[in-house]
Amino acid sequence: MTAQGVVAQGVKRRFGAVEAVRGIDLTAVPGEVTALVGPNGAGKTTLLLVLATLLVPDAGQVTVAGFDPVTQADEVRARMGWAPDVFGLYDNLTCREYLVFCGEAMRLAAAKARTRASELLEVASLTEHADQPVHTLSRGQKQRLGLTRALVHEPEVLILDEPASGLDPRSRVDLRVLLRRLAATGTAVLVSSHLLGDLEELADRVVFVDRGATVGEHRIDQLPTNVAPRPWRLRSLDLPALLAALARTGYDHDEPTPAGVDVRLNGDEAAAALIAGLVRDGVPVVSCHPLGGQLEATYLELTT
Amino acid sequence: MTPQGIRVVARQEFTIRIRAGRWRWLLSIWFVLLLLVTALLKLSVDNIDTGDAQNKGVVVYGGLTLLMLGLALLVVPSLGAQSVNGDRERGTLATLQVTRLTAGDIALGKFVAAWGTSLAFLAVTLPLVGYCMFLGGVPLLRVLAVTAVLALLLGTVAAFALCLSSLLARTTTSGVLSYLVVFALTIGTLVLFGLGAALTRENYTEVTTCPTEQQLIEQGVPEADRPNILQGCTVSSFASSRTRTDRVWWLLAPNPFVVLADAAPQLPPETAAEKKVRLADEARGISRINLRQADPLGALGRTVRRLRSKPNADGLILSVLTGRGHKPVWPWGLGFDVALGAGALWVTARRLRTPSRVLPRGQRVA
Ligand SMILES: Nc1ncnc2c1ncn2[C@@H]1O[C@H](COP(=O)(O)OP(=O)(O)OP(=O)(O)O)[C@@H](O)[C@H]1O
Ligand SMILES: [Mg+2]
Repeated sequence: MTAQGVVAQGVKRRFGAVEAVRGIDLTAVPGEVTALVGPNGAGKTTLLLVLATLLVPDAGQVTVAGFDPVTQADEVRARMGWAPDVFGLYDNLTCREYLVFCGEAMRLAAAKARTRASELLEVASLTEHADQPVHTLSRGQKQRLGLTRALVHEPEVLILDEPASGLDPRSRVDLRVLLRRLAATGTAVLVSSHLLGDLEELADRVVFVDRGATVGEHRIDQLPTNVAPRPWRLRSLDLPALLAALARTGYDHDEPTPAGVDVRLNGDEAAAALIAGLVRDGVPVVSCHPLGGQLEATYLELTT
Repeated sequence: MTPQGIRVVARQEFTIRIRAGRWRWLLSIWFVLLLLVTALLKLSVDNIDTGDAQNKGVVVYGGLTLLMLGLALLVVPSLGAQSVNGDRERGTLATLQVTRLTAGDIALGKFVAAWGTSLAFLAVTLPLVGYCMFLGGVPLLRVLAVTAVLALLLGTVAAFALCLSSLLARTTTSGVLSYLVVFALTIGTLVLFGLGAALTRENYTEVTTCPTEQQLIEQGVPEADRPNILQGCTVSSFASSRTRTDRVWWLLAPNPFVVLADAAPQLPPETAAEKKVRLADEARGISRINLRQADPLGALGRTVRRLRSKPNADGLILSVLTGRGHKPVWPWGLGFDVALGAGALWVTARRLRTPSRVLPRGQRVA
């Protein structure tokens, strides 16, 4: 059986002197949301362009929906939806016209393209803007329209480059719900994103890339704990007392801010021990909570 | 590549172009300009006493057509010169390339849109052409041929512009280069031809030989005259130099103005009735300009055909006037231009093919 979803092994791609991707391994299986995470310039967009049949990799094996994006581009395109991190929308077309055009470009029959456009406008909550020119949409609305374009032909593999950037909190929740629903119906979803908090609730698996190479691939519920000290934020009614107590016990901490004092701790046990110590010393501690999720901690550990 | 694919792209491009506005203005300015030209030509023709009231349209039409070509060569490059790299800049090209449209669909669709828009400019001038026909002397066949050739030439230029926009990253660069291509086709061919012709200058000795009696008989010279001719003839030779334009005429052939003028069918020769009028005029000592001879298209066409001919084939004055006896230049010129245009489309389609191995320097896909 050919592998479905996305399988990439040892992908390399350089632009002149720049080695944008120098060995990324990644799989995205149907029914799951896979997150691609890494610093700016890590090569995420470049990899996604390879998967989206736009760039030829210099090396490596790639299959998307069971086909080779280089030699069987049309087969891949029929089964894959891609939304870039730029909007790439035409001005002077209404949202509906635009989606109908995209449907026709995907070789849907004219009638089918029209019904699909209406459905997708509903999905993107753009129905009330359906007959408004695209260039009058807000940034987030454009982003949503760009995403729905990738869905016109009901693809089995969905590749999204930073789909959530620029969306308001509610739209981000909507996006999460939409992607989970698509995954539940068997779509392989691959998203690159910098919004780690969102990913924790969205993704099933996460692939970390740094400087063009895969540096970790984990299920989101099996992230390595205690990878490194991570920041916890302490707030106290008596800041000088807190600082004095921290200095006494030799904890490393950042400059205090109005939000509190950040302390680096190795895992939950260390946090519990610190709180116990502070309370024993009579420091009026109000709160102590980890900054960022587990995903962020892992990210900070794995990438540079 | 499918007809539907091409249609989907072309319709999309058309819609965007039309909505982008300014078309009404551009077309109106275009029409008004050519209307003015027509009016001026008509006035100047009216001022010439010709007694040739049937052929007033000939001069007006010729002038109008050549000017229209000149103006169109200024407008058309801008129609396609940002088609591909402009889309790339806006990020819309990649989203088109990941659909099931092929590179050929996209290239041809964009070409059809650019060409179609330029044809709209031609269509707007049809009323003026109709007016020329009404003025008289312009056969329908000539109008059809000229319009077809104009359309092909505009298509060629549109294809060049499109190709440049697919080759170059910047819209401004491709715009400027498209105009350079037009410049090369018009002025460039002229300059090259001039330089080439200068190189073909040769010295030659012309020897006038005496005819034999047999040749005189064949030419139907009356018997009484023959001895005079034979005795009065001396073999002479003189050295001179000449330009062998027949070796470099092809440098001029791709010139759109040359192609258009030469492709316009020559006007029919003087009819018997017209000849009668002319002879009567001449008998009364009136000499009038024959508007047919003043036909700009015909004159240009005859000139380039003569340039193509070998020097000794140019002996007959008649052939200069009618263009007969000379081989046409336009099939070569038009063939060359159209082939180049087709090549440009092929290059465009190649450049649009994805996945791509090399990207233009400093350009991202998305
Ligand atoms: N067309 C190109 N020409 C030259 N260099 C390029 C090109 N495309 C990408 N690069 C380089 O390749 C590297 C990876 O770029 P890429 O866009 O894949 O990063 P990314 O992981 O998507 O970053 P971000 O998180 O900022 O979107 C960068 O250093 C970038 O400068
Ligand atoms: Mg990116």
